[in-house]
Amino acid sequence: MPSLLTRTEAEDFLFHEAELLDDWLMPEWAALYTEDALYEVTSPASPDPKASDAKDSLFLISDRIDRIRGRASRLMKKSAHAEFPRSKTRHLVTNVRIVGEEDGGTRLRANIAVYRTKEDTSTVFMGEAWYTIVREGDALKIRRKRIILDLNSLYNQGRLTIIL
Amino acid sequence: MPLDNSQQAALVQANAEKGSFRVSRTAYKSKEVFEQEKKLIFEKCWLYLGHGTELKKKGDFASRRVGGRDIIFIRDRNDQVAAFYNTCTHRGAKICREHNGNARTFACPYHGWVFNSEGKLVSQNANSGYVENLNEDGHLDLVPVPRLENYRDFYFLNYNPKAISLHDYLAGARDAIDAICDQTEDKQIILPGEHSYSVRANYKFMAENSYDGYHLLPVHASFFDHLRDQYAGTAASHVVDETIASYNSRGAVRGLGMGHAILDSYVPTGRPVAQWLPSMGAALKPEIEAKYARLVERFGKERADYIAETQKNLVIFPNLVINDILSTTVRYVEPEGPDMMRVTAWALGPRDESPELRAMRLDNFVSFLGPAGFGSPDDIEMLEICQTALEHTPIEWNEISKGMAPGGDRRTITGAPDDEIQMQAYWTQWDMIMRGIETLEA
Repeated sequence: MPSLLTRTEAEDFLFHEAELLDDWLMPEWAALYTEDALYEVTSPASPDPKASDAKDSLFLISDRIDRIRGRASRLMKKSAHAEFPRSKTRHLVTNVRIVGEEDGGTRLRANIAVYRTKEDTSTVFMGEAWYTIVREGDALKIRRKRIILDLNSLYNQGRLTIIL
Repeated sequence: MPLDNSQQAALVQANAEKGSFRVSRTAYKSKEVFEQEKKLIFEKCWLYLGHGTELKKKGDFASRRVGGRDIIFIRDRNDQVAAFYNTCTHRGAKICREHNGNARTFACPYHGWVFNSEGKLVSQNANSGYVENLNEDGHLDLVPVPRLENYRDFYFLNYNPKAISLHDYLAGARDAIDAICDQTEDKQIILPGEHSYSVRANYKFMAENSYDGYHLLPVHASFFDHLRDQYAGTAASHVVDETIASYNSRGAVRGLGMGHAILDSYVPTGRPVAQWLPSMGAALKPEIEAKYARLVERFGKERADYIAETQKNLVIFPNLVINDILSTTVRYVEPEGPDMMRVTAWALGPRDESPELRAMRLDNFVSFLGPAGFGSPDDIEMLEICQTALEHTPIEWNEISKGMAPGGDRRTITGAPDDEIQMQAYWTQWDMIMRGIETLEA
């Protein structure tokens, strides 16, 4: 039975993920995910975002590994017009707390604030992040990542074209 | 007051001899034009409010802004759908502050006046100070919008009490809505969830983009790359390039009258109703093929093929988009200023769909549509760069001439999928309304 992550291990790993995203190393970011991974961002209008399921309600993002990789490779292309020129982002990850064991991995939660600048407009995506992290040999991988935004709509942000 | 002919004549110009249809960029950025649109377009056209299936039980309500006005959309205790202005008739407070919910009454938080779900004032929360029969004539009841009608559960309101019926207003768009609703013998319902976001551009750019076939490859190249990757090594691996090569040889854009138009096209994404692709997995094949077979039984092959296999991008003048493509979206565009719009989009699907097909429908939706999909964000980028460029350059005209016909009523012409006749239909209607030629009154 693999051991739970410590908070330090978890933070190091989440900070590493954040750095890859801010450096726009998208394929390397996608490589952090397991083959059965799910990356989700719930809809701000959802009445119960913790319990909601993309199979029966509209999410903003619900990516299995094919779309995780597809999203990553799309963002490396100039033909991804919404991110050309690329935004500048800064992912802040804080309040990391190990919740317990789940699905053979470590369930943890964190608070996030992702600042994003496109031309002269900076906005922020803030929310809570729920992860399930598993060990694959020496490496850590993400099996589940669900972000619940502290927003009622994307009125101020416009679109969500970056990876949170 | 309509713009006088000399002002308005400058904004939309159709010259059949030159094959030129052009629209002044002023129409997308001027504050004066926007103020005129508020009076002439948004107080005379039928504007989409919501879908009857969003209000499942008596007392279910949603509060939303339509054409600049705050409305309570509610199913009352008699199972009637109603639309009231969201303001207390006492001293103005917003009485419904929740996005949606269920209520038998609305109590104004300010002085405690209470209204029931039919809008009747049932209490003034006062034992004295008011004449007994002050509200005998009902002037203190919640004020309903002047007109509220529905077509197949799509509810529209109109701020002009003299407006023609919704039925007549929709004209040829009724058939397009039928092709979507007839996908199921049960009913189409709005699925849980919504996307709500802003776009820094004029609302008319969103209308233009929503049924534009011409931009498909330049804008969505990366989405088609993704599809090719998904289909690689499967029986469908050739589908993307084959369909792209034949895009313009099948389908059409059609003016439906009254400024509405539709793009009928063939794009290799599959459709929940009813076009199966191997990428959907074998488990869904029987259900999807059964749906197609039932459509043939009900409507004959030609209509069944149209319903099942055609991707449909429909714009109902002035600001409602219904795209029935790899998933079905109802997208309402609220103008907030010459350079700003708020978009709210929902997913629509048959009530009797299996959970597995429903899941695929929603998965298709978020793969492309919405502010985080692989498609819509790039469309939105185009709208925003059009807005910013035309605001900061002195060029006067947008050239919207592709496929221009030599004559005829420009609101009912047909063209190839990558033509622009659907925008010519839109702007012709816009021009006629802004000049007072088309009053939309009985």
